[in-house]
Amino acid sequence: MTAVIEARGLTKSYGATRALEAVSFSVGSGRIVGLIGPNGAGKTTALKAILGLTPFDGELRVLGLDPRTQRDALMREVCFMADVAVLPRWLRVSQALEFCSGVHPRFDRSVAEGILRKTDIRMASRVRELSKGMVTQLHLALIMAIDARLLVLDEPTLGLDLLYRRRFYDTLLNDYFNKARTIVLTTHQVEEVENLFTDVIFINQGHVVLEASVEDLGNRYQQLTLAGEQAARARALRPFYEREVFGRVAMLFEGRTAAELKPLGELRTPSIADLFVAKMQGSAST
Amino acid sequence: MNSTLADIADGTPRSADPPAMPLTVTLLTLVRREFWEHRYLWIAPLVVEGVLIVLGAIVGHGHVHLPNDTDFSGLQNLEAQKVAAFTILQWMLSVPACVVLVGVVSWYALDCLYAERRDRSILFWKSLPVSDGLTVLSKAVVALLAAPLVSFVVALVGFLVFAGILALRIAAGGVPSVFSWDLLEWFRTELVMLIMLMVAVLWYAPVVAAMILLSVWARPNPFLWAFLAPVVAPLLERIAFGTHYLSGFLKYRAFGIWGTLAHGPTHGHINIITHHGLHPVGTLLDEFNIGAALTDIDLWLGVAVTAVLLYAAIRIRRYRDDS
Repeated sequence: MTAVIEARGLTKSYGATRALEAVSFSVGSGRIVGLIGPNGAGKTTALKAILGLTPFDGELRVLGLDPRTQRDALMREVCFMADVAVLPRWLRVSQALEFCSGVHPRFDRSVAEGILRKTDIRMASRVRELSKGMVTQLHLALIMAIDARLLVLDEPTLGLDLLYRRRFYDTLLNDYFNKARTIVLTTHQVEEVENLFTDVIFINQGHVVLEASVEDLGNRYQQLTLAGEQAARARALRPFYEREVFGRVAMLFEGRTAAELKPLGELRTPSIADLFVAKMQGSAST
Repeated sequence: MNSTLADIADGTPRSADPPAMPLTVTLLTLVRREFWEHRYLWIAPLVVEGVLIVLGAIVGHGHVHLPNDTDFSGLQNLEAQKVAAFTILQWMLSVPACVVLVGVVSWYALDCLYAERRDRSILFWKSLPVSDGLTVLSKAVVALLAAPLVSFVVALVGFLVFAGILALRIAAGGVPSVFSWDLLEWFRTELVMLIMLMVAVLWYAPVVAAMILLSVWARPNPFLWAFLAPVVAPLLERIAFGTHYLSGFLKYRAFGIWGTLAHGPTHGHINIITHHGLHPVGTLLDEFNIGAALTDIDLWLGVAVTAVLLYAAIRIRRYRDDS
C-alpha cells in the first residue's frame, strides 16, 4: 500500500519553541486516522504542514507531492475543514455553491444541493443568518461534494451540540468515506469518535508517542481491572499506568499475554481515550 | 517515497480526472466573488447616479453662469453654445462619480486581503484550489479594471437618464433651454473621460498595488498605515534630514501625469469656458497629448512597480496566517 502522507524528520520551530521535533509517521490510503494530542502538542502545526500552510524542515510527501512547492496541485486532491477556517459571514449559500463550482474541477454541485435539501438551510440565506450547527452542515456539504483523496478535519465539530456532532460523523462515514479516500481527524472529543478510527497517532510536545492501527492496539495493550488486594501481584508485571476507581484498580500493560493477566482480574482492550490519558501522563513524567 | 498520484489510485475506482478549470472561468468566479463581498463596488456608483437623477428631476431653474461679455451673436453660434454647455454639464456631473470611485477603490484595495484575515475566512479560501497568485490577481483586476469600468458605465447610463429627464422638462417648459443634445459631442465627451480614466488607472496603479500589499501584510490594520504613513514619513524626513523628497515624490505621483497629458499643441492652455464663449469638452481630444502621456517613462516605471508590489503580495499571502 502506498502512503498518502509520508513524514520523515518533520520539524517546525516558532522562535525558540519546537512545535514539531523530527516527527515521522505515515498514513495509508483508505484509512481514518485520529491525530490525538493535548493542546499545544503540535497537531495543528502538523496539519498545517501537510496542507502547505506553513513552511517546515524535514521531508514530507502528501499524495506524492511536496506541500511547500506543489500546493496548488495538491489542493485539487485535498480538502480541509478546521474550526479556524470559517465561512465568511457575508456569503450566501447559493454563492458558496456557485463559487466552488467556478473554481474546483472536482466539485459536484448536485451532491451539495442534495445534502442541503435534507437540512433546514435555504439557498438564499447568508452564513451570518445560520446557526453554528447549520454553518458546519453547509461546510460539510461543500466538502462532501468535492471528490478529494485526502480530507483533513481539525476540530470540525468544536462548539456543536451532541446531536449535530453525531449527525456530522454519521454523514461523513456513511455517505462520504470509501477505500479511495483518506481522512485525518483531530478532535478533543476522543470518546465520541474512537470507533471511527482505523489508526491513531498520539502526539505530545512535538513528538509522536504512539502510531498504530486500531487492530494492533488490541494486540499490544491490555487493560486489567482488579481488586486492590491483587494489585501487588499485578504490579510485578510492570503496568505503565495505573488508576484507582471505586476501590478497584485499573492497570494498563504493554505486550503481556492473556495467560499472564487473566488470572489476576478482568481483562479487556483499553479504550483509545484511556490509552491516550495513560500515554500522555507517562510521556509527561519521563 | 517516490509515490505519485497514479500509484495511490488503488482501492475503489475513482472517476477519471476532470479537466482542469479553465483559467478564465476561475478568474471570472473570483471577480464575481469580490462584488458579492464588497457590495459598495456597485452600490456606491448607483447611489451617486441615483442622487444626480433625483436632483435633476426636482431642482428648479438651472443657472449657467457665463462670463459677462460672452458673445451670443448669431443664432447658429447660440446653438453651438448650447451644445458646448450640454457637454460641460455632462463633464461636471461625472465629477461625483470620479470622487466616489477614488474612495471606493482605495477602500477596496486596503480591505480586499485584510477582510479574509479579519473574519478568519482565509483558510476556507485556501482550502480550495485557487493559487495565491490568482487570488491577488483577481483583486488587482477588480480594483484597476472592473470597478473603474462599472463606475464608468453606471455614470454613462446615469447621465443619459439625467439628460432624458432634462429634455422632458425643457420640452414641458419648466426649465430654460440652455442645453442642446448632440450625439457626436456627447460621444466625444465620453471619450475624453474614458481616456482620462485609462491614464488615471495606469498612473495610480502602483498606489493601488501598494494598498493591496498593505492589505495582505499590515498588522494590526492597513487603514491605519495608509492614512498615517503618507503624513508621518515626510514629517520624519523633514525632521531628520531637513529635506522634502518624500512629499515632493508623493505630490508628483498624485498629479504628475496630468501636466503631461494637458501639454498638447496649445501648451496646456486648455480653456473650455472662455470670454469668447463655451467650447465643447470634446475639443480636449485635440488638446490632449496622449502620446506623451502613454510614453511617459514614469508612467511605465509605475506599472513595473505595480507588478513588483503585487508579486510581493502574492508571496506574503502564501504563508500568511493570523489564526
